[in-house]
Amino acid sequence: MSVKAFELVPAVERDLLMGDKARINIECIECCGKHLYMGTNDCFIHHFLLDEVTSSKGKLTYSAQKLLHKYLGLKKPVAELRAASALERLIVLCDGIVFLVDMVTLETVPSAAGGGAKIRGVTAFCVNENPVNGDPFCVEMGVISSKRRTVQIYMVYEDRVQLVKEVTTPEQPCAVSVDGYFLCLALATQYMILNYNTGASQDLFPYNSEDRRPIVKRIGREEFLLAAPGGLGMFANAEGVSQRAPVNWSESVIGAAVSFPYVVALDESFITIHSMLDQQLKQTLSFRDGHILQDFEGKVILASTKAVYVLVPLPLERQIQDLLASHRVEEALILTEGAQQNIPKDKFQILHKRILQQAGFIQFGQLQFLEAKEHFRKGQLDVRELISLYPLLLPASSSFTRCHPPLHEFADLNHLAQGDQEKMLRCKKFLISYLGEVRSTEVANGCREDVDTALLKLYAEQDHDSLLDLLASDNACLLADSVPWLEKYHKYFALGLLYHYNSQDSAALQLWIRVVDGDLQDSTRSGLYEYIVDFLCSCSNLDLVWKYADWALAKDPTIGVHIFTKRPVCKDVTDLNPEDAITYLGKHNQALLLYLEHLVLERKIKKEKFHTHLAVLYLERVLSLLSEVPNNEECLTRARERLQALLRVSNLYRAQFLLGKMENCEQLLLERATLHGKLEENDKALHILVHKLKDFSSAEAFCVWASSSRDSGYQQQLFHLLLEVYLDGNLPQAAAGSGDLEMAAVDLLNRHGEVFDAARVLRMLPESWSLQLLRPFLGRAIRASMHACRTSQIAVGLAQSENLQLLHDRLKDRKKPIFVSEKKGCHLCHNTFSEPDVVCLPGGVPVHTHCVAQRVRDSPTKRQLTNSSNHT
Amino acid sequence: MPEVSKMKKPDVKLVLLGDMNVGKTSLLHRYTERKFKDTISTVGGAFFLKQWGPYNISIWDTAGREQFHGLGSMYCRGAAAVILTYDVTNWQSLAELEERFLSLTDTANHNCIYALVGNKADLTDPKAQLPQDSDPSKDQTECGVERTDTQVLSACPTPPASPASLSGITLQKQVTPEDAMALYGRILRYKGLDEKSSLPAEKMCFETSAKTGYNVDDLFEALFDLVLPSILRNRNESQQSPTVDLEECRGAGNKRAKSGCC
Repeated sequence: MSVKAFELVPAVERDLLMGDKARINIECIECCGKHLYMGTNDCFIHHFLLDEVTSSKGKLTYSAQKLLHKYLGLKKPVAELRAASALERLIVLCDGIVFLVDMVTLETVPSAAGGGAKIRGVTAFCVNENPVNGDPFCVEMGVISSKRRTVQIYMVYEDRVQLVKEVTTPEQPCAVSVDGYFLCLALATQYMILNYNTGASQDLFPYNSEDRRPIVKRIGREEFLLAAPGGLGMFANAEGVSQRAPVNWSESVIGAAVSFPYVVALDESFITIHSMLDQQLKQTLSFRDGHILQDFEGKVILASTKAVYVLVPLPLERQIQDLLASHRVEEALILTEGAQQNIPKDKFQILHKRILQQAGFIQFGQLQFLEAKEHFRKGQLDVRELISLYPLLLPASSSFTRCHPPLHEFADLNHLAQGDQEKMLRCKKFLISYLGEVRSTEVANGCREDVDTALLKLYAEQDHDSLLDLLASDNACLLADSVPWLEKYHKYFALGLLYHYNSQDSAALQLWIRVVDGDLQDSTRSGLYEYIVDFLCSCSNLDLVWKYADWALAKDPTIGVHIFTKRPVCKDVTDLNPEDAITYLGKHNQALLLYLEHLVLERKIKKEKFHTHLAVLYLERVLSLLSEVPNNEECLTRARERLQALLRVSNLYRAQFLLGKMENCEQLLLERATLHGKLEENDKALHILVHKLKDFSSAEAFCVWASSSRDSGYQQQLFHLLLEVYLDGNLPQAAAGSGDLEMAAVDLLNRHGEVFDAARVLRMLPESWSLQLLRPFLGRAIRASMHACRTSQIAVGLAQSENLQLLHDRLKDRKKPIFVSEKKGCHLCHNTFSEPDVVCLPGGVPVHTHCVAQRVRDSPTKRQLTNSSNHT
Repeated sequence: MPEVSKMKKPDVKLVLLGDMNVGKTSLLHRYTERKFKDTISTVGGAFFLKQWGPYNISIWDTAGREQFHGLGSMYCRGAAAVILTYDVTNWQSLAELEERFLSLTDTANHNCIYALVGNKADLTDPKAQLPQDSDPSKDQTECGVERTDTQVLSACPTPPASPASLSGITLQKQVTPEDAMALYGRILRYKGLDEKSSLPAEKMCFETSAKTGYNVDDLFEALFDLVLPSILRNRNESQQSPTVDLEECRGAGNKRAKSGCC
């Protein structure tokens, strides 16, 4: 409990009203603007002017000035007073009579000529504050008569009252309130709603009016507040439905009023204040001898028998702040939201946001992060308010200052956690998750740098995995602020990423290199060296590449060379000039070799220089391996294979130059043979292969690959050359192994018989060779020659027949029969034909021979034409 | 006097009725706050606004004490569903429903639906002692399976490790579901409703435990589904009344014009 929602302020002190006359009591009050009227038990009306005075400290007091008092002359207490300000009249109930007095002079208004200004036999009346009749110069009034079970509706004019309606009730009514057509009545045993226009009634609930004084209080449009059994304040609307839960008063409530969102009730010794929003008792004020509690135009006025007080509501914000100060978040929010309709929209929104934010901070302080987050979100908290709680998280350059008045009571997180490390950690984890969520939303608009930098710091401090994700993606971390922080937590890899993000690749590389070299400790990234290589690989700043490639190559040439070989070929990355790279790699042999291999073998760059260079490097490697003692056979074989493969495959290197380099090396005969082959010095090549190496299969293979891209004639020539070499036994070196050569020749013929010109071969072969030896070759040769012969015969036959066929077709096409008869006329002389001999003109038109002759004679120029078809 | 601000206008009203101490407030608490806590005797009444999809449903928790009995018919006025609550361990609480509370529902809507809810089932029924999952759909299937299981195994003694024996107290059940269903039939007769065209008793009689949450979600959600037609009707009415159908007017006008011609 204990919200301070209201303050009781004295308005009219006892002295002012009655001086020392002890028997005088206040019976009723009415307040209309600044005018306060009081009816007393000695039949006086007192008129005061009530002024609000606000002290310099903001405290409200009232000063009352007595204007007038008037004796009504009835010797009875004044039971009720109601002002009709538009008429400048007070409606007075005294001694069972309702009559009118002037608001200023307090003189009784005499009855007008047309009708009375008095109603007799009245026990209670009420004024309709929401009349259906819209006439501003009359007041509608509901009146309970003392004798009959009726309620009467009167219109009150300046100088008369007029009965307009009378409705009967099932029991004698004792209290009444009216809104529109609806009368809300307290009868002897129950409450009811009665529509005086239609007569329709609705029972509400039973109540014994004899036991307890009923209360019927209109609190708004078609809604009433009623005293219910058990000390309840029940709400009921005109349909007889309760739309709000009841409030729990004491049994002896005398009066009640609503001052939104509170229900104020008075009993013998207390004023109780309940919230209509949650039905809870919010405040209790001690008030002795309470007599009257009424609200006038929103102002709640109380009276004891001797003095008058005003119940001044504290400003809503103050109430809410009081609630928040005692950490009653829910109540504060209910109160704020409940007041929505009583506050202008824009003002409410500002207030609501602020309360939500404050509520969030209270819950944050209690480590109720889920609730806090929700309130921060709803209250659209400037996220920097939260960040600023954490020491050093906001960048030094941030322009942020905390909102004033402050949203919370914490100086910072240390203050909040009071040295509890676990608490501290939980708060940090919350901020991490919160910032992570909001950084990409509009919450972070305008303070992205602050948010991202704070997040970076937290990640670094908490050794959080997402640090790298943050830096690798779009971020607004401030470099100047982040550098010392990342250094402090040895997040050098991350710092490098940040440098890179800020286009300071050089700084990033320097830092990473120091980590790889062991000068700095940061185990964030294993394989940082490879990362650097990758980084350089896609680095568009070539100066940086040149600058740091040396370091990378020195560290590991095979991986370092990836900087050059794995460089993506695309428009974003500045292309690297291979020549420059080769020059650069001059001092890194191994890397150079890998790079050339990359250029020649992978990228297949057709440039003599690279090919020759690579071949020379291969050759040098082979030569150096050869010179080693002892030979590493395995390495040598591999090196030679590579060299040989390149020599065979590539056509671009300078063969003569290479040949010169290995001229004197007797171990590289195969390579030399290949080079000779490339130079088309096939005889030399074969000579080496056959006589020096005696490697017949290589010789054959040579013939095959050397002619692989040539026509069959070249291939035949090459094989014949090989055969000649085999058969040329005269060479002195070969004399000893002439048998081998002969066998090789035989094998060659038998294996590759098809490429040879058999007739030429037969002329070349020594007489002494047995037929049996050459049987496979000869068999194939004969078969081949037969085959060729027959094939060509068939071809000739087919061609002839085709020719004949074509001839036939041509004749058939051209020589359609030309009909000549005695009935047909010559086209030239128009006489009929008498004999079968005719001449055909082009188009198969038959004419007389003599006509043609005639015509030819007449027009020598046309001779050509007739000649061409001069046959039948 | 400033206009008193109205709360979000509820689309439909549900009322919990029943004798004192049967657990009306606890049921509502269990449903709205998902926990069971000590409550004090309700004074007058209280209500809770439940957002059910696009609809606002107000649930009124009434005071069971005799003192506040007179207010009951006011709470019931315009109700679309009344939850008549009793205590399964207390026969009198069921009898009170018929004697005292049924007449309060006279002010409810003519198409109001009635549910009979026997609360405190955890005291008599082992299956109601298991804490309920928060997932209602899962609940339903699990409950269904359990129910058949217990029926099959009813002859077997309760296994010693079950919560039933741990809690120790199993009170005598004084009201059986059959008793409740019989009362339901009498309620229909009292309302002058045809048993065949009304919702069947099996569907409208529940046994719940606000303490364990047993069947509580099922109860409220089943009722929400059943009052949905009422909500829609209410909405339609409030939409239709202030609207003038221009097509209809024009049609009428034409007719009049024609008849005038002839």
